[in-house]
Amino acid sequence: MSKKDNQELFLQLLIRWVLVIVPTGVIGYITLRFLNFSYTALNTGINSQTAYFVVGLMLAYSLYYYGARWIISFVLLWVVYLLFEKIISRLPGEFDVFYTTARFQLYATLFLFGWAFGFLLAKIRWSYIILFGVLAIVTLVSISDTIDISLTYILMHIAPVVVYGLYMLFLTPLLTDRIELDRKKSGKLALRISLFALLIVLAFILTESLFKSDFKAVEKELAARGAKGNKDGSKKEDSKYDDRYGLMDKDDDGYRLKDTMRVNSKMSQSDKLMFCSKLDNYFPDGSPAPLYFVYHYLTKYDPVKESFTRDVNVPSFDEIQVDPTNLPMYYSYTDTSVLRKSMATKLRKVVEAQVYLSENTWKHSVLGPASVFSIQTIPVEKDFQKTFLSAYKITSFTSELNNAYFVYNISASPMLEPLQEERHKELRIVNGYTKVDSTFLNYYTEYPKGGIYDSIGKLALSLTSKDSKPVDKVLAVRDFFLKRNENGKRIFRYTLKAGAVDDPNIPSSKMLYNFLFKTHAGYCTYYAGASLFMLRALGVPTRFTTGFATVNRSDKNKGWYWFYASQAHAWTQVYFPGYGWLDFDMTIGNEDQQGAPKPDGTPPLPPPEPWLVLNARAVSIDAATKSLDASFSQLIYFNTPYTLNKSFTRPIDASLCRVLYDKKDTTLSAIRPGDSLIIVSYKDETKTIPVPRKGISIEQQLNGFPSPIIADEIHIRPREKEKKKEESTTKGVIKEEEKKITWQEIAWLAAKGIGSLLIFILLLPLMYLVYRLLCIVLARDVNAKADQIYRAALYRFHMAGLQRENETPLDYAHLKVDPTLGTSFEEFMRLYLRLKYANGNLRQGDDIIIDQFARTIGSAIRKKIGFRLIINYFNVLLALRYFQQPQQTDYETPLL
Amino acid sequence: MNDSTTKLKSLTDNIETIIRGKPQEIKYVVTALLARGHILLEDNPGAGKTVLAKTLAQSISESTVDFHAAGSGVAFKRIQFTPDLLPMDLIGSYIFDESKKDFVFKKGPLFTHVLLADEINRASPKVQSALLECMAENQITSGDHTFLLDQFFFTIATQNPIEMEGTYPLPAAQLDRFFMKISFGYVSEAVELDIYTNYLAIGDSKNTVKQVLTYHDIIQLQKEAENVYIHPELVQGIVRLVQSTRHHPDIALGCSTRGGIIFIKCLKAWALVNQRDYVIEDDIRALAHPVLHHRLIFRNREASRTALQQLADQEVNKLAKMGIQSKQ
Repeated sequence: MSKKDNQELFLQLLIRWVLVIVPTGVIGYITLRFLNFSYTALNTGINSQTAYFVVGLMLAYSLYYYGARWIISFVLLWVVYLLFEKIISRLPGEFDVFYTTARFQLYATLFLFGWAFGFLLAKIRWSYIILFGVLAIVTLVSISDTIDISLTYILMHIAPVVVYGLYMLFLTPLLTDRIELDRKKSGKLALRISLFALLIVLAFILTESLFKSDFKAVEKELAARGAKGNKDGSKKEDSKYDDRYGLMDKDDDGYRLKDTMRVNSKMSQSDKLMFCSKLDNYFPDGSPAPLYFVYHYLTKYDPVKESFTRDVNVPSFDEIQVDPTNLPMYYSYTDTSVLRKSMATKLRKVVEAQVYLSENTWKHSVLGPASVFSIQTIPVEKDFQKTFLSAYKITSFTSELNNAYFVYNISASPMLEPLQEERHKELRIVNGYTKVDSTFLNYYTEYPKGGIYDSIGKLALSLTSKDSKPVDKVLAVRDFFLKRNENGKRIFRYTLKAGAVDDPNIPSSKMLYNFLFKTHAGYCTYYAGASLFMLRALGVPTRFTTGFATVNRSDKNKGWYWFYASQAHAWTQVYFPGYGWLDFDMTIGNEDQQGAPKPDGTPPLPPPEPWLVLNARAVSIDAATKSLDASFSQLIYFNTPYTLNKSFTRPIDASLCRVLYDKKDTTLSAIRPGDSLIIVSYKDETKTIPVPRKGISIEQQLNGFPSPIIADEIHIRPREKEKKKEESTTKGVIKEEEKKITWQEIAWLAAKGIGSLLIFILLLPLMYLVYRLLCIVLARDVNAKADQIYRAALYRFHMAGLQRENETPLDYAHLKVDPTLGTSFEEFMRLYLRLKYANGNLRQGDDIIIDQFARTIGSAIRKKIGFRLIINYFNVLLALRYFQQPQQTDYETPLL
Repeated sequence: MNDSTTKLKSLTDNIETIIRGKPQEIKYVVTALLARGHILLEDNPGAGKTVLAKTLAQSISESTVDFHAAGSGVAFKRIQFTPDLLPMDLIGSYIFDESKKDFVFKKGPLFTHVLLADEINRASPKVQSALLECMAENQITSGDHTFLLDQFFFTIATQNPIEMEGTYPLPAAQLDRFFMKISFGYVSEAVELDIYTNYLAIGDSKNTVKQVLTYHDIIQLQKEAENVYIHPELVQGIVRLVQSTRHHPDIALGCSTRGGIIFIKCLKAWALVNQRDYVIEDDIRALAHPVLHHRLIFRNREASRTALQQLADQEVNKLAKMGIQSKQ
């Protein structure tokens, strides 16, 4: 080989170093970085690791580029090993030997990896697919151990590998040829590479902007799932974990299914504060009377899941159906039909409660004592906004027999028994369900048939007679769980590791059967589920209730309770005609483990109560004196909403006022005339507050209001224009959160994106045809026209299924097109070639031939190919072949 | 143009009465003739190469013509090459003339217009080399005397494939002198049937081939072939093709510059044979193998079969993609 050739070869190698080795080295560095983050054992410096990798890569690439044989790499690696042996033998201490060996192994592995990469890159044309796969797997493995995993995180880590793969995909075809260092040609190459880079950047920006919201939603979803996964993993070690949350798991319906799951998984990771509540329920002596907080009712038996599920279409469904997040501040939603649906008249009272939800709680459904019929959103005190994200005030229609001291299982404190006896005495008035609506009764006493259920039913009937009073049946079941064996030890006990630990759902009937007859150990869902079956078997209308047991009462704030995740609970509600649904908690207290009381999470001071809330519109604002005029026609005066018969305008003193826009603090200057405002004034000793007088219309009372009215809080309602803008940006997120179909949404979005891309790609062949035809129309002279017709004809014949392979266009016309289609392509080709190559000008009649040919192509193709043509035009691969160089087939010239 | 078209047509038609089903090969031979070159036919025995050479020669020459009588016509000689043939058998030798008491040069069979060198690779390389000078420079040197040959000196050589026994491969320099090397191949089934049914008639007419063109006709056609127009882009393409043969990894010896010139000459003649006064891209494809293949040395048999055709196809494809260039 000549010197010049050698030089050229080396130059090509240098170019390839820049184009191939450098990016591969960079991607190696990035991958090693990720690996080092995940595996600290590797910690010997990323730079030196990369250096070994790159040395291996470069050596192998260069050697194989010059056509080295296997033996060379073998010899080289052997030399490296020998060097290592020598170093080892000279080392003094054992520790040094170990240390060096470990290092050597690491570096040798990296070197070998580099070597393998270099070999693949130099020798195998499509090697980047292998490299891409290896790198992707390594990256995924390295990030799989991360705890705080999120979609963005994954994307961020995978992105470099993807970019590298795309880059190599783009570069590889170029590498097969000699890369010329001609300025024009390398300029072209540079242009192509920079265009590619631009494309990548664009793709990233597009993805970012298009799917940002979805990413976030997915991220949340993933976070929840990841947490759940962790929970499952750590369950064995963490015995404190309370499986009771399982009850809110999957066996719920619809959207909330996922959400309850999410709440659970969050809770399960660590016992977090879920919410706290001020409950205005007191005994006559003034001591607070706690109530269980209801989340959902599970009423319907699902034979497939062998368990109970939520059913919204039940008769008399007394659950308020509203999403508190949809209510604007201070707005209230009342559903009085709940009162009717609760089917209770005796011993009922209206109880108010404020509920402050922390970030851990599912905020889209109402938590409150049974039979909540009214809800009003209220702001959270500024100091507690970090702990509690939202709050609402609820009013519920509660039975006096439902206070928690009546409901608690007496196993925990036997002192409760005489107290509960009062309740039972009251309930003994109820003899049976003869007067109850039969649809209702049948629904709530529906009992599945089958071996297991029959045994449970038999067990229930063995406890008490069918004729005894409902409350006695309930007590019989309760006492069944309280039974003791001959040693005086309870037969049933509380355990978090009941039955199958892996399934935290509402136990299936099989598990309940095991619980009742074999293990006698379970957590609340077992007790609730088993008593549900038993009571229904006895003909008592019963439902399964999920929610929170009220345990922790605040000492510093009267009437306040706080609820930790571990208080999530399940119990049964039994229907007594006249009294409505009453709570019964059958769960045996946990004797083995007494959890330490959770810290008081309630706010030290209850939030102030407003005396006046105005739904107003700003008329004029004076920022200097901090006052404004507001007109209003709706107001809440001492918790009573009024609508005025005309709108009033009053001056408002906003000097000490807190201004909020969309729950964020802002200043008075943010208010513009015409803005819709909610103006709140709290009860405060320093203010003169008019006392509501009876018998006087609100309009007249209004005249007695102080002027100006001192405002404590002004909430600016989001403006229409910005709202719209927000809608377009954040609504997606909100909507998804509401709907909880993030994965489907994303799949749909992706499908739409890919679909439109596919359609675009499918339309490309047709678009190219249109472009070609347009070129004909736009051709300036006959020569150019002939040129364009020639190109269009080649394309159209190609798309008609007549592919030109190695023939020249003339042969193609002569041998393929004309015999099949009967066109005059050959004549045109001869003319065209004459125009192209002959040293003469147009002859007479040439343009006629050209025109005639151009006109006949379409009809000739249609006549012969017909419908298939349309399909062909959607065959992108076929069209692609048109642009490819004729394949380098094994073209046979005659053997000599 | 029309005149030359009819002349060429009559020539090819005349040959086709004997050689059936080989219009392409006949065209190649005529092309070599018009390009003032020489042609080497290679194939297994019995494919009809000698017959083709003979028929062509007979179509343009009169057997009775004396080469030395100036301007009278085309002389035709045939030499059967054998292993024991010596250069002087071709060139001729000095013979002692008893009457003049002097050495007189007795001209050998090379002194002719159309030379049929049959089975050229049966002779030893030294005999083959004897042809070098006359083929390249149209002259013969013997001793201290150089004899000029007529400008119309056309060699048709035939050879058997090199693998066959008793053959000497032609030296590269000798091969380079041949403008074209074509192989014959067997005829198609239908043509073969035609030949078998009519072999008597064909055999008869073999000895009675008409002379259709004269010496002057050929000179005229050769001049016309020189005047065929070749587009600058095509020349560019040929340059690229020739260059690419030199850079191809599987080609050890690329095409020489002489090879390129010959290629252009042949392209022009080929265009004329195909009744055109301009060269087109198809011509490059058609001639790349016959003109260039025997000039190249390939590194392996695989490359020998595919490399050149791939390069030519690539080049032709480039040209086919090129639009009409505006001519000023």
